[in-house]
Amino acid sequence: MGKYQLGEFEEVVMLTVAILQGDAYGIAIIEEMQNRLDRKVSIGSLQTVLRRLEKKGYLQSEFGEATAVRGGKRKRFFSLTQHGQAILRETKEQRVGLWNAIPNYALNK
Amino acid sequence: MSHQNHPHPPKLLLRFFRWFCHPDYVEDIEGDLVERYQGWVAQGQSPRWRFAREVLRLFRPSLIKPISNRELNNYGMFQSMMTMAWRNALRQKQFTILNLLGLVIGISTCLIIGLYIHDESSFDTFHEKSDRIYRVNQPYIWGDWNKIMATTGPNVAVALREDASEFEQITRILSLGPHTVAPASSANRSNSFKEDRVYAVEENFFDVFSFQFKTGNPSTVLADPLSILITEMTMIRYFGKESTPSEAMGKTIEIKQYDGSWKSFTVQAILENVPARSHIQFDMLVPLKSESEMMLANGWKWIWTGFATYGLVKEGTNVQALEKHIQTIPPKWAPPTTERIFNQSFEEFTGGHPWKLELQPLGEIYSAGSPTGHPFGPTGKPLFIKIFTAIGLLVLALSAINFMNLSTARATNRSKEVGVRKVLGSRRLTIVKQFILESVIFILSGTVLALIAVFLLISPFNDLADKQIDLIPYLRNPAFYLVLVAFVMISGGIAGSYPALYLSSFKPIESLKGIVKTGLNGRKIRNGLVIIQFTISIALIIATFFVQKQLTYASNVDIGFAKENILQLHNVGELGFDTEALKNKLDGYPEFTAVGKSFGVPPFVFSGDRYKSTEPEASVVQLSNLRIDDDYLEVLNVEFLMGRNFDSNRKNDRHKVILNRRALADLGWKLEDAVGNSVALASGGEEELEVIGVVENFNFNSLKEEIAPLILIHHYNDIVWDYGAGSSYYSMRLNPEAIATTEDLNQLLVALAEEMKTIDPTVPFEYSFMDQEFETTFQSERKMATILNVFTVMAMIIACLGLYGLAAFSAEQRTKELGIRKVLGASVVELSLAFSKEFTRLVFLAILLACPIAWYFVQQWLQNFAYKTPLEGWVFLVATAAALLISLATISFQSIRSANRNPVESLKDE
Repeated sequence: MGKYQLGEFEEVVMLTVAILQGDAYGIAIIEEMQNRLDRKVSIGSLQTVLRRLEKKGYLQSEFGEATAVRGGKRKRFFSLTQHGQAILRETKEQRVGLWNAIPNYALNK
Repeated sequence: MSHQNHPHPPKLLLRFFRWFCHPDYVEDIEGDLVERYQGWVAQGQSPRWRFAREVLRLFRPSLIKPISNRELNNYGMFQSMMTMAWRNALRQKQFTILNLLGLVIGISTCLIIGLYIHDESSFDTFHEKSDRIYRVNQPYIWGDWNKIMATTGPNVAVALREDASEFEQITRILSLGPHTVAPASSANRSNSFKEDRVYAVEENFFDVFSFQFKTGNPSTVLADPLSILITEMTMIRYFGKESTPSEAMGKTIEIKQYDGSWKSFTVQAILENVPARSHIQFDMLVPLKSESEMMLANGWKWIWTGFATYGLVKEGTNVQALEKHIQTIPPKWAPPTTERIFNQSFEEFTGGHPWKLELQPLGEIYSAGSPTGHPFGPTGKPLFIKIFTAIGLLVLALSAINFMNLSTARATNRSKEVGVRKVLGSRRLTIVKQFILESVIFILSGTVLALIAVFLLISPFNDLADKQIDLIPYLRNPAFYLVLVAFVMISGGIAGSYPALYLSSFKPIESLKGIVKTGLNGRKIRNGLVIIQFTISIALIIATFFVQKQLTYASNVDIGFAKENILQLHNVGELGFDTEALKNKLDGYPEFTAVGKSFGVPPFVFSGDRYKSTEPEASVVQLSNLRIDDDYLEVLNVEFLMGRNFDSNRKNDRHKVILNRRALADLGWKLEDAVGNSVALASGGEEELEVIGVVENFNFNSLKEEIAPLILIHHYNDIVWDYGAGSSYYSMRLNPEAIATTEDLNQLLVALAEEMKTIDPTVPFEYSFMDQEFETTFQSERKMATILNVFTVMAMIIACLGLYGLAAFSAEQRTKELGIRKVLGASVVELSLAFSKEFTRLVFLAILLACPIAWYFVQQWLQNFAYKTPLEGWVFLVATAAALLISLATISFQSIRSANRNPVESLKDE
């Protein structure tokens, strides 16, 4: 482990997917990020990252049911793989480790 | 669901998205897009724009369709085509070399011509405001009002400043004419130079033109009337190789004035050398302010036509309207000149011709070639450009034809290949592609080799054409490569299309059986192409012959006096007006049989004035004038038709004149009555000038021009004043017996230089020979002739390469036929003749076509000359005979070889 460092945007996308718990498809992710982080993301940049993460095996996806709302197109729901969860956790531990290593006075001032 | 609830995104964008998106992702991303769009519609946030932006942002490598399989297949095909092209080129080395050689010659010729034309047509582009600068031209008011000249009177600029607000700047340049100039540091001013290119410019000169400064301030340097600006080259000439611009600043340079005094100027700016592609070429500039006295006295004149007037128009000016507007200026401003100087009204002076002011764009001044010249630098020759363009295209056409011929000629050799390909399922289009690819590769390699050739040949060409073309800046320019690539693609496509279509049309069964459709059609077209090639090259050969003949003719034409052996001593005017002392010394030399003074020397007699006969109601005529002493005509040895020469013993002769025969025609006099008649200056002088003699016409200008009417004036004549009075010359007829060797001549020149030094060391010693000066008037024609020769040889070589290739091909085809003929008893001679006949017929046809074409163009060109060489038939005969011989020699190489071949070998094959 530790060979691959997640990019910041990749990390955010994976976290959002985790938050949405099985309801994570394109627009839902974009809106969630907009609401929580006030961050505007284009479909293009999101989809690129999603496909990349899927190719790496951090995410998996499956089609949902077709609805009339989206012009009859099915949604593709993303979820974390085991591997993806492990990576996320490792990333978090690295961060926490770094935070803990900061001497108290450096940030309290 | 109602439409309202679920609006549809723009169809076109959606379709575009579906086209480029990876098929695996299309469905869900499209769903996302639609959902977003609907969201925006609901919120009313300009959904269409946002949608378009979203779609465009989806266009990224990770999401688009992968490059399809079809192209991968093509890649393999492409590779195979390349291999085939390479193998074929290697297998038929002879054809490959001929083909490439033809292409390289053709393309490099074309490239060089292209560079030349580009160089000629990109003059003056270095000025920052070049697109807004115009020169004011006007009619040639000293004679033919239909001609245009590049200079105007000083008052034109004043008038334009006053009456035409469309100009941001008006600036004038005046050539101060040849001056003797010396750096102040030199003792006795002995280190003096003759400067022709000293111009006086106005304070706003650098607001209009962007000549680059090394040192000095462009905006203030011309404010000081005694400042002088010199180019770097001039600086080195005056202050030595080691001098630097900062050292040279502030030094003093003295210019000798017409009255013999010296005027000091301070160097206040060093300019970079004037770019070669500038129509204004100078060595030093002084402010026009330095001549303020002269300007004050003469600035109102419209007839002191020594100024080039330039206007910088304001941005967005309608130049056509402006040009129309300024036509009102001459009738308003010129009358004081015509009335005060000529005592004529404006209409009388112009004779009803419009005094047009023409605005010529800076970019056209050099390349238009009209007006034909100006005193400040070079003028282009549009005729040469036309001729070179034509030759460049012709040579290129020749090499393309060559290429097509050689490619189709090889058809038989490749018919089996085409057959096999077709049997294996190749479509015709694929085969067409293959052959076009081959020709593109050929032309590409030809172009690369041609570039190398041009790189090596550019400096000899520069010498030949007197140009300074540098290939390097072109090689750094992407546009140059774009042009080259376009050229390769287009010419490869065109030259490859005929062989491609022809070869791909073979029927596989026939070609595999070995029935080769050499078809009448193919041969006819090939023959037709050979005829075109030879027509072009023979026509070029004939034209070249005539150009040479014309130049020889023109330089040997009888000009009315013996121009050989006349030595001319320059700068005599600087010794003052009275130079009898020098003359007496010159008379003492045994090497001279006659010595005479004149205020101008043929072929450069340019001054003239308006005269009229003293008879009542006489009309005004324009006569060239030349001031001479009593002995000058003796030096020239011109023939007197009537009357006598000036006689130094008759004091009254100084107000007498001599005319040439041509002048009588204009004055309306008969030869018998002329002597004793009088003329007077048309500008109102009362004094009559009595004619005492008439001489036969002789050329006092370039032989390109007809002999003009001339009046010869005594050098002490104080009634007629002319602009040329400042510079005078001594001309000496050499005694050929006294000067047998070049050594004698050199000694004489050294002695003359000493003689001048003892009289006045500041006067530069300069001399010329009159016959050489006449030669120089044909310099540009000679240059053109040499270049034409080279290109003609190129054209002929290409044509011969083509012919050689075809002959070789034919020899291969007819191996068996010739073998059988030989077995049946034909001799070698018979065989060679039978073989050559096929090609000589074509060359004969080409000759028939070429003669009238060449005749037409040569005649057109000869219109430029006053003295034309006759279009004699023998030239055509010689030229065509030469072409025939060359082509026979080309063919015979093949014909003799095939005729000599042992029939056993040629028949036992297979």
